[in-house]
Amino acid sequence: MVEPSDELKISKDRSECDGCDTQCACNATHDLSPPDTNLTTGPEISNDADRRNFLKQATTITLGALSLTVLPWSRDNDDGKNVGGGSATPIVYGFLVDTEKCIGAGKCLTACRVENDVPEGYSRTWVERYIHYKDGRVEVDRVPESGYHAAGLVDIDSELIDRSYFVPKLCNHCEDAPCNQVCPVHASFTSPEGVELIDTDSCIGCAYCVQACPYGVRFVNPNTNSADKCTWCYHRITQNEKPACVEACPVDARVFGRLDDPESELNRRLAKVPHHVLREHLGTHPKLHYIGLSGEVN
Amino acid sequence: MSATRHLQILALLLLLGGGAALQLRNMLVPATFGEIGTYRAAALGTNAAHPLTFPSDARCLKCHEDVQEERVESLHTVVRCVHCHGFGAEHITQATAVEVDSSVTIASAQDWDHHFPTKVDLFITYDRATCLACHQATVGMPDSFLQINVAEHLEDQGAEDVEDVNVCFECHTGHSPGL
Repeated sequence: MVEPSDELKISKDRSECDGCDTQCACNATHDLSPPDTNLTTGPEISNDADRRNFLKQATTITLGALSLTVLPWSRDNDDGKNVGGGSATPIVYGFLVDTEKCIGAGKCLTACRVENDVPEGYSRTWVERYIHYKDGRVEVDRVPESGYHAAGLVDIDSELIDRSYFVPKLCNHCEDAPCNQVCPVHASFTSPEGVELIDTDSCIGCAYCVQACPYGVRFVNPNTNSADKCTWCYHRITQNEKPACVEACPVDARVFGRLDDPESELNRRLAKVPHHVLREHLGTHPKLHYIGLSGEVN
Repeated sequence: MSATRHLQILALLLLLGGGAALQLRNMLVPATFGEIGTYRAAALGTNAAHPLTFPSDARCLKCHEDVQEERVESLHTVVRCVHCHGFGAEHITQATAVEVDSSVTIASAQDWDHHFPTKVDLFITYDRATCLACHQATVGMPDSFLQINVAEHLEDQGAEDVEDVNVCFECHTGHSPGL
C-alpha cells in the first residue's frame, strides 16, 4: 500500500509510472479494474467501459440540454441598466427642491392631485413645515392643500420661534431603490431615464415597497389597488413638459431637469450652492436634491 | 435494455422537459418583459399614456393674449393662470373644440362657489382668499417673500370695509398687482 506521505511523490512521477502492481494514485492508462469483471462480456467491450461511456454521453447530453435551456434568456436580463430607451446615451433626470424659496402656498399639492388623480387623503407629494421654538423644541406639521390661511389655522406666535421653513417632499427616485429590490413581481422598476415607475398592471398591491421606502413616499391607491407614488409626471416629461408641481410652483422652489446636461437649469443651480440629499447614509443615492436643508430634516 | 436505448429515453425526456419548461415560461412571463430591463417594457407606455391635465400658461395665452400684455413686467408673471382661475379642463376641452369647429360655443365660466378648485372648474370670480393663499404672513415663509399681515395692511391703507372679500382689488389687480 502507498503511504500517505508517498502520494505526492508518486503523482509527481506520474509520467514515469509504468503500471506498477500496487494501487496507484496516477491516472495512467493501465486498467485497474479487478480481472474477474471482464468474464461476462468478454475483453473487447467490458462492462466497466460500457458504464463509463454511458456516463460520459449522459453527462454530455444533460449538460448540453441544460445549457440550451439556460443561456438564451439569461442574457436578456443582464443589459437592463445600460439601455436608454434604445438610444446610445440615456437621459438622466434629476430634481431640485429649494427650501429657502418655498412659501408653503400648497399650489404644488393641488396640481399633483389633479394631474395624477390622487385620491383624497393620499398624496404623492407633501410639504412639511419645521418650526424651531426658542425652548429647543422642533415641531413638524404639514401644509394644508389650500394653504394655511384658507384652512383657517391659527398662526403661531413668531415671538416663540427661532426659525421655521418649509420642506417639500416627494419620491427621491433613488439610483439604488429599496422599493425595486423588494417587489416580488418586478412591478417597481427604474425607467431608462432614471425615473422610478410602477407597473400598475403587474402590481399585486402587497405593499412591500410601501414598507421598504425609507422616505415614506409610497401608498396603495384604493381606486386601483396598486402601489402609487410620484413619477415626476412621466407622462408630462416624456412630452417635454415639466412635472405638474414644478409648473405650479409660483416661486421656483421646485426645479426639474437633466442631471447629465451641465447646461441645464438644474445643474446650474446645483453648482452654485451647497446641496444635500435626504438620508444619505442609507446609500440609496437619491436624484432629488435639496438646497438649504437643515440637519433636522430626514 | 441496451445502453443506447437508455440514452435515447434520457434525450427524449430532456427534450420533452425542456419544451414543457419553455411553454410554461411563455405562459407565465408577461409579454415585453425583459426587453429593456427586468420589467415589462410596456409599462413605460402605460405610464406615459396618462392624460395631461395641468394646462401650461401658454395654452391659456393662446386665446387670452391680452392678459399676457398685462402680466409682462408684473410681479405676477410667475403666477400660473390656474392658481387663481382653476384648472378649467372642461373649458379647455371646449376651447379646443372651437378651434376645430368655430360654430361650437364655449359655456360661460362657472362662478366659483369658494370650494377648492377641481379639475373641471374654471372660475372668474375670486376674492382675497385667493391672494392670501400665498401672501398671508405665515410662520415658515422666507423673509424675501412679500408677506402681508392683512389686518395691519388694511389699517395702514385706511380701507373702509376690512371685512369685504374683494377689498384687495380696490388697489390691486390680479394680473398686474403693483405695489
